[in-house]
This record gives sequence, structure tokens and C-alpha cells, in this order.
Amino acid sequence: MSVLTNSPSTELAHAAPTPMWRQRTRIFFSNRLALASVIFLVIVAGACYLVPLFHPTNQTDASATLLVPQNANPSAAYWLGTTSTGYDELGRIFYGGEYSLTLGLLAGFITIVVGTIYGMIAGFFAGLVDTVMMRFLDALLSIPYFFFLITLISIFGRSTTFLILSIGLTGWWGNARIIRGDALLIRSLEYSQASTAMGASKWHIIRRHVFPNSISNIVTVATFSVADAILALSALGFLGLGIQLPQTDWGTMLQDGTTQLQSSNFWWEVYPLAAIFILVVVSINYIGDALRDTFEVRLVER
Amino acid sequence: MLSYIVRRLLQSLFVLFIIIFITFSLPYVEPRGIYAPAYLALGPHATPANIHLWAVAHGVDKPFFFRFWLYISNVFLHFNLGYSYQASQPVWSILSLYVPRTIWLALTSLIFTSVIAIPLGIFQASRRNTAFDYSATGIAFVLYAMPSFLLCSLVLEFFGFHWPHLPVSPPAGVAPWLIFTDPGAFIMPIGCLTLLSVAGLSRFMRGTVLEVLVQDYIRTARAKGGSSRHVLFKHAFRNALGPIVTILGLSVPGLLGGAIVIESVFNYGGLGYETVNAALSGDVNVVLGITLLVSILTLLGNLLADVGLGLVNPRIRIEGSTR
Repeated sequence: MSVLTNSPSTELAHAAPTPMWRQRTRIFFSNRLALASVIFLVIVAGACYLVPLFHPTNQTDASATLLVPQNANPSAAYWLGTTSTGYDELGRIFYGGEYSLTLGLLAGFITIVVGTIYGMIAGFFAGLVDTVMMRFLDALLSIPYFFFLITLISIFGRSTTFLILSIGLTGWWGNARIIRGDALLIRSLEYSQASTAMGASKWHIIRRHVFPNSISNIVTVATFSVADAILALSALGFLGLGIQLPQTDWGTMLQDGTTQLQSSNFWWEVYPLAAIFILVVVSINYIGDALRDTFEVRLVER
Repeated sequence: MLSYIVRRLLQSLFVLFIIIFITFSLPYVEPRGIYAPAYLALGPHATPANIHLWAVAHGVDKPFFFRFWLYISNVFLHFNLGYSYQASQPVWSILSLYVPRTIWLALTSLIFTSVIAIPLGIFQASRRNTAFDYSATGIAFVLYAMPSFLLCSLVLEFFGFHWPHLPVSPPAGVAPWLIFTDPGAFIMPIGCLTLLSVAGLSRFMRGTVLEVLVQDYIRTARAKGGSSRHVLFKHAFRNALGPIVTILGLSVPGLLGGAIVIESVFNYGGLGYETVNAALSGDVNVVLGITLLVSILTLLGNLLADVGLGLVNPRIRIEGSTR
């Protein structure tokens, strides 16, 4: 026994290997653009959630907008001018951002939770369960997503809760597909089979093997889902099916701005927000790409 | 091949049945859902007693499966998608005007998309990691992140007002042949929808061709002395054709969904435009009818793609017949 513990191979094993998560973090942040994306998102989210607390504008008080010139040029008092209803544009961007980001995150979270559970069950139990669940998913995937979303909204109304639920409950179909593929694959791998042979319960295998080994795909897919949810919400806002006044979101704001653009050149009501919006979605998508690379085992230094 | 098509057709019918079940049962989830037409028909001042009388008279209170059976038989035997109490006419008579227009929009865009995106993707893959590839990828990334309505609004604003060289008004009539008599009016809607789908498809195309290019048979073809153009088009492209046909079929729902935004921006009367109107006025029957229609269009698209896949890839239809 003592011979074993003193052998050089165990010495080597005790030479504190870098933990997996730290290796992964290093790979992720060695990607400069990913680092920039994270910093940018933190700044935007911080501004949206914190600036309104310290620097209140006329966002929540509609009567205060009556005292303000409408469509005013950017000035010292209104850094990005004012909107057609007299809201401070910069404050409005932060205020709308709160809704866009929160709803996007929550809806994205729902899509990934539902997608993961559905995909795991279908992929893991395979056979008849899988066939039935996948045929049902085929049917859902044949309904053009955006039409289905509008159907849900026209039936269930447009409260903030239902917007989150509607976007969340229509966005998971593709996710379920991907995760089901993962589960199906991992379940057939040797370590899962060995576990089964040693008498592990199905729940144990899902918990210890299938879920941990598909976490990389889940995290990556979740990132893209959030970006998609933010885009879906903005499109609804544009169509007038989004968040109702006096609250707002980025899609509704862009809609207000672009309709004005045709008759007069109130550029500050469109371009600053458009730039922030596109950069936010690009950043999220880029982080997703970088995460996928991070989890690529072949890139881990050994 | 025929048995393959027949089997795919039966599968599609089954999927269609599930879709109808989903869209039909959705209003039942909401407490007031199935009475929504009654509220529309009787107006905002209707008393609960009136709503109840109306519901009984129109068979709304009948059991779920009885109504489902009625709905199914109406859809399949009479192509009756229900009645719009907002417009006071059958849903189909509203939609029949719009269906060809949306199909036109989506189909033309699909053709332009494939004509542009497929060569672009191949070109990017064969010259990967060059300045051209990076810039095309960057543009696709931004287009993908940009809300489609923003792109369309900016295009409309620029070409319609700041540099007014394109007609902004959509074709006045609803006849599909207007595309030949008044093609200018279609440039912006079709152009925008094409631009939006090119971003996704060229990216997919690039990935597919890259995957094919690392295969052994490509190396063999090169080793045998094939010119790079010959290898690219005779070997790589042909083998990438299967995934392309599949993705073209799968892009139908995206195109139809994109049509919602395009039609709203350009005031192009079509299924998408009508969906938004109906959703805003709470005309659930019309929204459900449209959803069913676009699902049927999607199923048709997938079916065509699968038949096409069977044509370009014999393994698929043979595997099917022996199974």
C-alpha cells in the first residue's frame, strides 16, 4: 500500500492539475472579442438597471413629458434629445432596455428549461416515447414560429407575463431537437452503458452522465435563445403587439423612431438605439460562439 | 420513389392533423377563449346572458371532440376555416385574396436567396479565412443580429425618401400577375426578404461545403489532378446538395414568418399583414385560420424538399423502401 502511494505516478497526480472550469475560463477569455462582448453587455445591462435609479428622467411620469419640447435636438439637458412624446431619449433607452433585457433573459430561460427537459426525456427514453414526442415536435416545427407566437398573443393577451410565456413557450422547439440528439448519443456511449450494467437507475444516469455531458450544448444554446428572445420581443414591439405604453421596450422605441424618420430627420430617435441593440445581440451571439469553442475538448491544453 | 413520396405524404397528413388539434384546442386553454368570437360578434356591451345565448345558438358549448370533428370535416371537406365575426365574412374569403400574394413574395425571395446565397457560400468556403470571407461573415453576423423590421425600415427610408429611386407604394391590386405588370413595386419587399434569408443560408452553405472539402474523396480528386474549380463544382457542390435542399425546405417557415414583418413595413397586403391586423383587433378565428394555412404551406415546402432530396440522393429513397 505504501509502495503505491509513493509511486511517481501518484506524485504526478497530486501536482494539482488546473481545475476544468479554470481551464475553460482561460480559453474563453483568451478570445479577446468574447471578453469585449462580455464587458459591453455588463456595461449596457448595468446602465439599464442602475442609471434610472441614480439619475431619474421623466420616464415613469407621463405628465412630466408635457413640460418638455417634443423631438428636441440632443443638448446638454437631453443628451440624446427627446422622443415624439417628450421622453428623454437616453433615459428611454435605459428604461426600455430594462424590459427588453429582462424579458429576453426570462423567455430565453424558459425556452432552455423546457427544451432541455423535453429533449432529455425524448432522447433518453428513446423508442416509442421518443417517436411520439418527436412527431409532436415535428408538428410544432411545421407551424411558422412567428405566426404561432402571434396566435398565442391574440388569445392570451399582451400582459408582460404572457409575453414572456408566449415567447418562451414558442422558442424551445429547436432547442429540444439539439438536446435530444445529445441525450441520444450520450446514452449509447460506453460509460452510460457501464453504469446501466452496474445497476444504476435511469434517473441516476440522466443526472450523473447525460445532463453533465450535454451541459456545454445547453449553455451554448441558451445563449442563442436569449438573443432570439430579445429579437422576437422587438419584432412584436414593432408590430404593436409588444409592451404597452407608458412602458416600452427597444422594439417599440425603434418603431416609433423609424416611422418619424420618413417625414423628418430625427436621427437620435433611431440610430443610437439601433447601434446599441445590434451590438447587444451581436455580443450575445458572439459569446455563444466563444462558449462553443470553450467547450470544444480538443482545444483544452493538457 | 413513388412509395417514398406516398409515405412522406401520409406523414405530412398526420402532422397536419396534430397541428389542427393544437390550433383548435388553444382557445380552450384560456378561460374566455372559446367565447372570444361571441364577444366580437356582440360587441363590448354584451351581457353574460347574451353571450351564453349566442354560444348555444352557434354550438360553442358543444363538447370539445364534437366541435373538433366538425372543424376537421369543415377544413378537409369544404375548406371552411371558420367565420370572422370582425369582418362578417368567412375566413377563407378574406384569406383567398392574400394567399397567392404571400406565396409570391416568399417564393420569389426563396429563388433569389438560393441564387445568391449558394454561390456566395461556396465562394466563401473555397477562400476561407481571407478578407472576403471575413467581411461576408461579418455582414452576415450583423444582418442576423439586426431586427428585420429595422433593416426594412431603413431600406424603405433610404430608397423611398432620401434617395427616392424606388417606388414605396405596394401594388394596389391583389392579383398575383401584378409582378409582371408592375415589377418595380415588388423590388423593396422582395429585396429585403432576400437579404434577410441570404445571411442565414450563405452561412449554412459555407459550413456545409467546408465539411465536404475535408473529405477523403475531395483529396483523391485533387490528387488525381482535378482543377480546383472542377473539384469544387463536380465533387464538393454535388455532395453538399443534399443538406442544401433540406435547408431550403426548412427555410419556408422562416420566410413566411419574415413576411409578417416585411408585409407590415411595406404595407404589402398578404397573410402576414392580415395576421397582425386580426391579432390587433382580437379576431382569433382569422389568426387561427392563417396559422393553419401557413403550416400547410410549410408542410408542402418540406414535402417538396424531401422529394427533391430523394431525387438528388438515391440512398434516402432506397433506405426508405427497404425499411
